[in-house]
Amino acid sequence: MNTEAMSLQDFRALLQKLSAGAPGQDMTDEERVRRAKKGFMQKLNGHRAVDLDSCLQCGMCAEACHFYEATQNEKYAPVYKFRPLRRFYRREMSPLRWFYRPFTRDITVADLKEWQHLIYDACTGCGRCDMICPMGIKISASIRVMRHGLAAAGYVPDEMRVIRNEQRDQNKLFGVGVEQLKALVDKLGAQGVNIPLDREQADVLLFTTAVEVLLFPDTFAATARILNKAGADWTIRSDAFEAANVGIITGDDPTMKLAIRRIVDKAKACSVKTVLIPESGHAYQTIRWEGATEMGGPLPFETLSMPEFIAGEIQAGRLNLNAQSNGASVTYHDPCRLSRKGGVMQQPRDVLAALGLDVRETPANRRENYCCGGGCGEYVLENAADLRQKAFEIKRREFEDTGADAVVTSCANCRINLMIGAENSDWQTPVTSLVETVAASLAD
Amino acid sequence: MTLLDFASGPGLQWALWIFMFGVVWRLVGALFLLSRKDLTKPREHNSVAAGLGAVISRSAPAHAFEKRILFQHVTGYVWHFALFISVLFFAPHILFFESVLGFSWPHLPNTIILVTAIVATAVLIALLIRRATHPVQRFISNADDYISIFVVLIPLVTGILAFTHFGGRYETLLGIHVLSVDVMLIWFPFGKLMHAIMTMPARYQAGTAFGRRGVKA
Repeated sequence: MNTEAMSLQDFRALLQKLSAGAPGQDMTDEERVRRAKKGFMQKLNGHRAVDLDSCLQCGMCAEACHFYEATQNEKYAPVYKFRPLRRFYRREMSPLRWFYRPFTRDITVADLKEWQHLIYDACTGCGRCDMICPMGIKISASIRVMRHGLAAAGYVPDEMRVIRNEQRDQNKLFGVGVEQLKALVDKLGAQGVNIPLDREQADVLLFTTAVEVLLFPDTFAATARILNKAGADWTIRSDAFEAANVGIITGDDPTMKLAIRRIVDKAKACSVKTVLIPESGHAYQTIRWEGATEMGGPLPFETLSMPEFIAGEIQAGRLNLNAQSNGASVTYHDPCRLSRKGGVMQQPRDVLAALGLDVRETPANRRENYCCGGGCGEYVLENAADLRQKAFEIKRREFEDTGADAVVTSCANCRINLMIGAENSDWQTPVTSLVETVAASLAD
Repeated sequence: MTLLDFASGPGLQWALWIFMFGVVWRLVGALFLLSRKDLTKPREHNSVAAGLGAVISRSAPAHAFEKRILFQHVTGYVWHFALFISVLFFAPHILFFESVLGFSWPHLPNTIILVTAIVATAVLIALLIRRATHPVQRFISNADDYISIFVVLIPLVTGILAFTHFGGRYETLLGIHVLSVDVMLIWFPFGKLMHAIMTMPARYQAGTAFGRRGVKA
């Protein structure tokens, strides 16, 4: 396809300008602390209480964190990242709070400032630490509570605040709205890719992301071609196409719920059987694993990620592929929100195997995979660029260990971060999308 | 009333009451904080099996992490194993348990108990040194981490001293030993020794949460 995607350099320049548009925030220190505590209290439930009461402070979680491994900075130990939450729990909510209170320091605005860096710049919420904890503590869930409190206190980093506000107030991201999607659909239509835009009813409702429209239109085109080839009865709606959710990324619940509601309402209006999430790990996590709970009841449709959909279509015999026989090898990067947080680990491997590719595993893979280094929206943060690059070097070593010709993944966020890391370190191995890899092998 | 009389009489009684009440209070208080019901449709899984599976699987690190936490993993096992042997299979301890529980079990020879107690003490001291020197552990540690080590270490050391009659009159050493056990029992629900109780629910809830998503915890 020739869809004139924005170049990676231009996209990086766009990210660098983001913070300039951040509005000011007027809040007293007392108000910030009060709001942070309220945010913690709203999210601190029985599961988190058991977690916080179980921590041995063994520090093993540091050994699972890519940021600690890359820097050896003890501040990046995951157990330290949720320390203010633990202090809050002990002082305000624990059954033994009367005992802990005199020995437990209260949260201050200086803490919130310090933890803004630890929670947004130095944590991608990938949950690898969840897999190592001998107590089974879901550390990333407590990090999410931290983000919730920090967001309530006005500590969402500027870049994230700008895109959060854009999604909340304009239903756009990175300036991509209805016009940009329609322009892309028209362009692809002229190239022979049929995209049934704005149908009132369909079996499958596809979503995309602003990043896909801007940077990876070939992935969008590939998705359409796969759907058409499989004979799916599908549509995409110009008035609700965005799958990304900056609310969940920032810890801003109202925005998260708003973005979920836009998707759920449209899916209900179109009476669809399936909501198809594009290559975006957090978008899948949000709708598939949070949507029903946030909306207060079961959703009347199934939610599928692209690897699940494609694997299902191949298995059902609706999608025929030309298996390659040139011995090409690939390694699959598991996006954390699809793999250990989503349960989608075998499907992408089945798809790549069906393509006849030599699939080589990185030393740490599937639920133990290393994060790309820029997940959960971290890739938009300028302050975190050095940290990300250091974490990327871990990924690079893992990839090189496989000797594979290319890296395939199924999350645009991971792909961007890996591409930026590769560009920075002049690493030549291509990083591509699962969907595009499949579309390139569609049989006639 | 001698020290031993106090430690093994009212001291122990109070310590046991505080221990039992504190453990139940802290456990129930945490478990009863409301959690929103997860309304998402789970992948096919057996919730109980997933929960119990995690209780077992978290006893060993996942493959990717084995080498990075080898020291803590091995010392953790040696420490707990040696401690349990020393506490549960020493003849005088069994006599005490019998007086409380009403039944007993076979004991191990004293020489074996002495070895396991020395091993447990040595490993605990090694873990204490690591906590004070390892960059991450030193940085994250608080008073609870050190208190919890000392309140377990002292009964071990005084137990060995009493057993070997080293350093004082037997009754005095035994009195200090039992008193240190009282202190440990009192501290138990307030500090991180509580992990002995929390391990099961924490691992279980992780297992069910991951299981819903089709992921082995």
